[in-house]
Amino acid sequence: MADKPRLKLPKEAKKGEVIEIKTLMPHIMESGQRKDKDGKVIPRKIINKFVCEFNGKPVFSANLEPAIAANPYFQFYAKVEESGTFKFSWTDDDGTVTTAEEKITVA
Amino acid sequence: MTRDGISAVVFGAAALLMAGAALCVAGAGTAHAQANKALPALELKGDAAVRPWKRYPGWPQRDESKWSTLAKMSSPPAPKEPRKITAPIAGDAANGAKLVADRNRGGSCLACHVMGQAGNADQPGNVGPDLSEVGNAGLSDEQLFNFIYDARVYNAETVMPPWGSHGVFSDAEINDMVAFLKTLKKPAVFKVEVDNPDKRGTPVEKRDNLDAMENPGMWAIDKAQVLWKARGSTGFACSTCHAKPETQFKTWAASMPKWEPRLNKVLGVEEFITRHAKATTGANYLMETEENRDLSIYLHNLANGTPIKVDITSPAAKAAYERGQELANRKIGELNFACTDCHGKVANHWIRGQWLGAPKGQYDHFPTWRTSLQTVWDIRQRFQWCQVNIRADELPPDAKEYGDLELYLAAANEGQKLSVPGIRH
Repeated sequence: MADKPRLKLPKEAKKGEVIEIKTLMPHIMESGQRKDKDGKVIPRKIINKFVCEFNGKPVFSANLEPAIAANPYFQFYAKVEESGTFKFSWTDDDGTVTTAEEKITVA
Repeated sequence: MTRDGISAVVFGAAALLMAGAALCVAGAGTAHAQANKALPALELKGDAAVRPWKRYPGWPQRDESKWSTLAKMSSPPAPKEPRKITAPIAGDAANGAKLVADRNRGGSCLACHVMGQAGNADQPGNVGPDLSEVGNAGLSDEQLFNFIYDARVYNAETVMPPWGSHGVFSDAEINDMVAFLKTLKKPAVFKVEVDNPDKRGTPVEKRDNLDAMENPGMWAIDKAQVLWKARGSTGFACSTCHAKPETQFKTWAASMPKWEPRLNKVLGVEEFITRHAKATTGANYLMETEENRDLSIYLHNLANGTPIKVDITSPAAKAAYERGQELANRKIGELNFACTDCHGKVANHWIRGQWLGAPKGQYDHFPTWRTSLQTVWDIRQRFQWCQVNIRADELPPDAKEYGDLELYLAAANEGQKLSVPGIRH
């Protein structure tokens, strides 16, 4: 079983509130700069893109580079005006896209 | 409950085979149910870890087989008399200065001693006395030589490794170090305050070890919950008998390890998982494999907050505890350390930049996430690493000696509340 991404954000918020969102994606983030003990380069394998959307609209996105440490962690803020779903996606160098969702109720 | 699963699996197979499989499961089920009332079912045969045990590939692969381990006594006895040094020692002080700071040779003298400007006074330890002014102490060449060669001739209780009698340094190298020691006549000057071990603050762990955002050790719990429901070769899963682990295991891990009369050894949580799973679900969760670690974290985590309390009341358990105490005090390896040297006599000091903790507090957080290694270690792997680190051969994780030692350590941690998975450097 692969490690699943971790999310931390409130379940409820007031209209117009600025909420904090934390995400952590378990990933080796192999830089492509390292060599194994036979001197061969260990191929790069990183999460190269992270996207957060709310009700289909972009909230935050980032392009990741090889120097970023294992298990990339993002902490950012979003202003919520309506109830809906935050959708998160992480794109691996091998094309795999891991997604996660979290609902929020806005009173 | 297993019949459905079994008949589904063997759908279309020969009726005879199916009957055989069903019988087998029924048999195992009965045995388990009966055993449940008195003693938990355990696989009593075979080893609970890989044999032959092979050291982890990233660990030092030196052959330390000639030194004592927790399983055998083979190191030479301490010399009774100091080596006689008749002529004045004329060593190369400059080479001595290099040797005392050489981390590849026994961890360097600076690991335990402040030695003036040696090694640029870069984070020395304070396990041994400050030697910055030893050149003024009026010690003879013979005394200086023997303190390095084998300090046991002057102090039977010393924690200093016998560098000469264990062959880590040659006589000529010790002569060079003696020559260097004689040049030490001024207190150390530290570039920054943390370089001074007496001023370095006690490390404090501020991370929340139970927050999955901060501690990847917590991820094991999700994986263990999947394993919990996975049917093994018998058709049983952990959840077959333990449907409510949150209540059934609320305190269990805090009572481990435990003397197991059927095996004549002490079982910790990890070996219990291996043997109990094998006897019930048929799953093969050998010690120090990912599944075993995941389940161990899960079972410990369920008992978080429970004070550790192990049972050493029976004569056999008490004897195991006493053996554990003897093992904790046994000098092993090329560096000739006992557990109680670092985590007893000189606990709460610095060995280079590492803090040596007292035994209390060294158990309640295992299995623990190692941030420096990005992996989980259980207590047996921690034992193994300590031994390899002091240049002794480690034992397989299911060794009975580790059981005794773990019982002793757990008893020393009585009252400490479990908080698993821990998070450490």
